[in-house]
Amino acid sequence: MIELDTHPTGAAVVRVDGRLTMVDAPAFRSAVAEAVGEAATTVVVDLSACAFMDSSGLGAVIAGLKAARQAGGDLRIAAPSTQVLTVLQLTNLERVLRPFGSVAEALRAG
Amino acid sequence: MAGQAALETAPDPVLAEHERLLDLAALDVLGRGPEERFDRITRMAQQLFGVSAAAVTLVTDAAQVHKSQSGPLPLADGAREHAFCDVTIRRPELLVVEDATQDERFAGNPSVTGAPGIRFYAGHPVQGPGGHRVGALCLVDERPRHFGAEERALLAELAGWVQRELDRSTELESAARVQAALLPLGTPDIAGYEVAGMCLPSGSVGGDFFDWHPAPDGQLVLTLADVMGKGLPAAIVTAMVRAVMRSTARDAGPAEAVREAAATLHEDLERTGRLVTMCHAKLDAVGHRVRFADAGHGLMLLVRADGSFARPAGGGLPLGVLAGEEWPEGVVDLAPGDTVVAFSDGLLDLFDGTTDSLPQIAAAVWDCVDAAHVVDRFTVLARRVGIRTDDVTLVAIRRTP
Repeated sequence: MIELDTHPTGAAVVRVDGRLTMVDAPAFRSAVAEAVGEAATTVVVDLSACAFMDSSGLGAVIAGLKAARQAGGDLRIAAPSTQVLTVLQLTNLERVLRPFGSVAEALRAG
Repeated sequence: MAGQAALETAPDPVLAEHERLLDLAALDVLGRGPEERFDRITRMAQQLFGVSAAAVTLVTDAAQVHKSQSGPLPLADGAREHAFCDVTIRRPELLVVEDATQDERFAGNPSVTGAPGIRFYAGHPVQGPGGHRVGALCLVDERPRHFGAEERALLAELAGWVQRELDRSTELESAARVQAALLPLGTPDIAGYEVAGMCLPSGSVGGDFFDWHPAPDGQLVLTLADVMGKGLPAAIVTAMVRAVMRSTARDAGPAEAVREAAATLHEDLERTGRLVTMCHAKLDAVGHRVRFADAGHGLMLLVRADGSFARPAGGGLPLGVLAGEEWPEGVVDLAPGDTVVAFSDGLLDLFDGTTDSLPQIAAAVWDCVDAAHVVDRFTVLARRVGIRTDDVTLVAIRRTP
């Protein structure tokens, strides 16, 4: 399940509950698009409740990152599981998708 | 001679039946159990017409098989000679028997004289990819029934739906054949080396591929790639990536070839929303060295002749993430008996799904007598998994001891 929560500070938090796979990827993409459309400068993807992400899910996060950057903002991920971290390391994507320990940390990072 | 002329014009019934059975086999729907895509049609047909049973049947050489059936009257598979649908498939049009007891073709049929006591039957043939009629969508009831023009048209339309479902699987099978034909044929003949590869899609077609071909300088170019996503959409992208890599790798080293390909593919990958992870390498069989560029692939092992193993480090992002990326080039030197394997993450799923299983994979590789054995071993392991959720692809290069 994907939930979008916009903050008055101009940040948005997209929370992934459960799995992020081909099934949920479209909902995730539209949540990020909505956040970017509402001029959120920082989109934080809260992965604390995301147990599993496959390559389609990862593709959706990267697409979100591109969309946020194109709009002059940024996308950050918070509290990824070991499985998600492994995928990020394996694909070298942690270089562009730096993981933060928590949503608060990701928001504080500027 | 009249007899001669007849022989020349009439189709040979034995040959025609042989072709019909090949057509049925090509559909790949026999022996696969019920499928929802057919069940939803028979459910709807049974409700729409209010009959005791609606079924999709397939007529094999000796039997009538119910691929799908719906309704309170269970239909058993049985001998072809007593099957109503065997009569249906002899003609291209709908067969309607409003009261079987009044129809000399069926009045003595065991399913009319005995159980289940069929009175009404309507069946419309469906065909295989070669145009041979292989089965039918049929309706059955224990009471005689009038079947009007509107109902006939409706049944024909539903049969068209069954036909489209059959065509769809054929189309996928054709796509699978095309994709398989784009894999290297045989193994390259390189003195002192064995090279082998495997690619098992989780469905008919997949997002993984491997490729190899000799470069003009005599070295062997190898590519293993995984397009994110599965099935046909990913398969379309694999064909594109393979062709671009073939072209950029002709005269360039691995890092340059990947950079060039990434630049060429970037816009297409952005528009299709795809990322591609890739391991691209060049084998110098004279200098016993593998140069490689890793684009977010990360799954490569060097298994030494003594059983120790290492993961060659260094790599860049997958293709399709950022424009204008560069990839570093890595080097692996091979001693006699050393093996390098690159594989897709689907192989990890045959173990515990994480990189914790790499020592097990390395041990399995080390235990093999040659590169073909490595491929055979993992193929057997992959086939043992009933439903694979990801494509499994592997390429092995081994320097002979």
